[in-house]
Amino acid sequence: MTVEYLLITAVVMFGHMEDFLGAALFSRPLVLGPLVGLALGDPVQGIIIGATLELIFMGNIKVGAAIPPDVITGGALGTAFAIMSGNGAEIALAIAIPVSIIAEIIISGLFVVRPALNSRFEKYAAEGNFKKIEVLHVASGLTKPLLMGTLAFLALQLGDEAMQTFLNSIPAWVQSGLSVAGSMLPAVGFAMLMNLMFNKHAAVYFFLGFILASYLKLPMIAIGALGIIIAIIITGAAGNSTDSEEYSNDDEQEPVADRQITKRDLRKVFFRSLALEANFNFETWQNTGFAYSIIPVLKKLYHTKEQMSSALRRHLQFFNTTAHGSTLILGITAAMEEQNSTSGDFDTESINAVKSGLMGPLAGVFDSLFWGTLKVIAAGIGVSLAMDGNMLGPLLFILIFNIPHFSLRYYMTFAGYNTGNRFLQNLARSGIMAKLTSGATILGLMVIGAMPVILMPLKTPITIGTQGSEVSLQMILDQLAPGLLSLALTFFAFWLVRRNIKTTWILLGILVLGFVGSILNIFI
Amino acid sequence: MIRLIRIDDRLLHGQVSFTWVPSLKINCIVIANNKVATDEFQKMALNIAKPPSAKLLIYTLKDAIAFLCDAKARNQEILVLVNSIADALSVAKEINEIKTINFGGIRMKTGAKLISKAIAIDDNDITFIKELLERGLELEIRQVPGDKKTIIDSSVINIPQ
Repeated sequence: MTVEYLLITAVVMFGHMEDFLGAALFSRPLVLGPLVGLALGDPVQGIIIGATLELIFMGNIKVGAAIPPDVITGGALGTAFAIMSGNGAEIALAIAIPVSIIAEIIISGLFVVRPALNSRFEKYAAEGNFKKIEVLHVASGLTKPLLMGTLAFLALQLGDEAMQTFLNSIPAWVQSGLSVAGSMLPAVGFAMLMNLMFNKHAAVYFFLGFILASYLKLPMIAIGALGIIIAIIITGAAGNSTDSEEYSNDDEQEPVADRQITKRDLRKVFFRSLALEANFNFETWQNTGFAYSIIPVLKKLYHTKEQMSSALRRHLQFFNTTAHGSTLILGITAAMEEQNSTSGDFDTESINAVKSGLMGPLAGVFDSLFWGTLKVIAAGIGVSLAMDGNMLGPLLFILIFNIPHFSLRYYMTFAGYNTGNRFLQNLARSGIMAKLTSGATILGLMVIGAMPVILMPLKTPITIGTQGSEVSLQMILDQLAPGLLSLALTFFAFWLVRRNIKTTWILLGILVLGFVGSILNIFI
Repeated sequence: MIRLIRIDDRLLHGQVSFTWVPSLKINCIVIANNKVATDEFQKMALNIAKPPSAKLLIYTLKDAIAFLCDAKARNQEILVLVNSIADALSVAKEINEIKTINFGGIRMKTGAKLISKAIAIDDNDITFIKELLERGLELEIRQVPGDKKTIIDSSVINIPQ
């Protein structure tokens, strides 16, 4: 089994390498599940389990300092133990939830310990030694994959037999209870997503998505495509913008006498930005990642130790923004550093003022764009295919998210550098952000509205009426609207989320509800 | 009415518009900050980040206090954002309605000490916190609404520096 253990450990480590891969969703259960399945010779089961876990951890997003349960370690181990013991998704789930909570505590510990390195980073900055900063940033970033990989390997090596015996001793009624509960848990994820977007004005789009899925039985891809069309019509994004002429002049590049930074340098900044969060910590957040990313520019501009040292220190200050959109700020910073290097009286304070002025607001925009919308659509379509074991599921999941992600991330490095502040002013003036956000809400809500029907089939075996003339309650419900029970459960979870009840409690509550419901034969 | 006053040195960002605004059904965000109120660039950046469901007002401390005292503010669900404990104190002094102050994020600076994973305070801050406590305000640390409240009391600030 050791070869398999090592392969699974490699999958866990690959998942935790997300900090070097630009938060591109390679670490999600929908991707790691199939990889674990592949390692164990059962990729189809891996895809199916991955899809189930993806659903349950769907609302599990990283915003600011809120560190979500570590679904990488939990999901990979859960999938592995389930496949090795010949069980299904319900067992994977039962392992994944507690393991991911424990793993989250360990990772939070790492983020508390990492600030101890800060004095070292500052010392290197004072020496103007960018090489050592790069090395330390990468080395610290590798601690997470190494630590979690080691723990996963130990868990497999020491726990496998005990776990198998334990899993095999679980009685059938517990298994079926878990299975029912597991099929109800996605409601929590849906509710958390609704919480981001649902409001009086946009509620109609949620119900539109529900109706398309429930009565018209449209697949997720069709609903997503319709959502895009409706969003474009409603926001008027397709119409000829009347004020496009007004600001097209601004886009013309100012003639800059002395450009030292080349496309090649900016491309390096883009690639390095993928490692922005490698040394994430609770004291200075992404600061060393920012320094690491901007170093190719600094190397080009500053040639004395003094200049390099003050620039490095400047960029070791607190930084935190959405990783996907970080290149816009990096590009603007590159342009300001270049100005500073050529003009004698440039106020270097303004560089950090712009950085810290932009990081919060842009995080607001990019969080909602990438986490709130793009990921939701990618997961909705990916999971709906992967539930049947279709390899296209994980593949589309990655592509739908990353084609826009990497194109925008790359483009913004250059846009930030070339047009900098004017790019932002255009964004603000053209009202494109408002359009984008409201369009994204429409699209997101339609997909979320379809999710309970397509992704959480919940049924009841209850019959009503006297013996001999029983009528199935499910049949009556289906005549009203297929998926009505799933919709009701989703709204129940949403109501709990809106009352600020902690997610862990909601998860546990629904778990109990499903378990009891299964024993009492209310749900199947 | 004021639903929440929050100290967050990034002011408006993902955590705020993603979690606090929907959870408290906020329809009006007031940023009270003397520097930002006169900085066109920052104002523009913050306006890009504005969640669609709320309006955003950016005022100096003085104007923010005037607005919050005004009768118009009664019928709105307001979230007040300041970026320092000092500013929170200035606002709380003038507005009796405020009974609780939320500590969302204060980054590390020299001479400061972390009292929670996202809150660092220095000696000046401790003086302000003492004054806030003497005024009988509840000071709670929570990054997002679902977090468990950590209350700042005298035991937290008496840690020897």
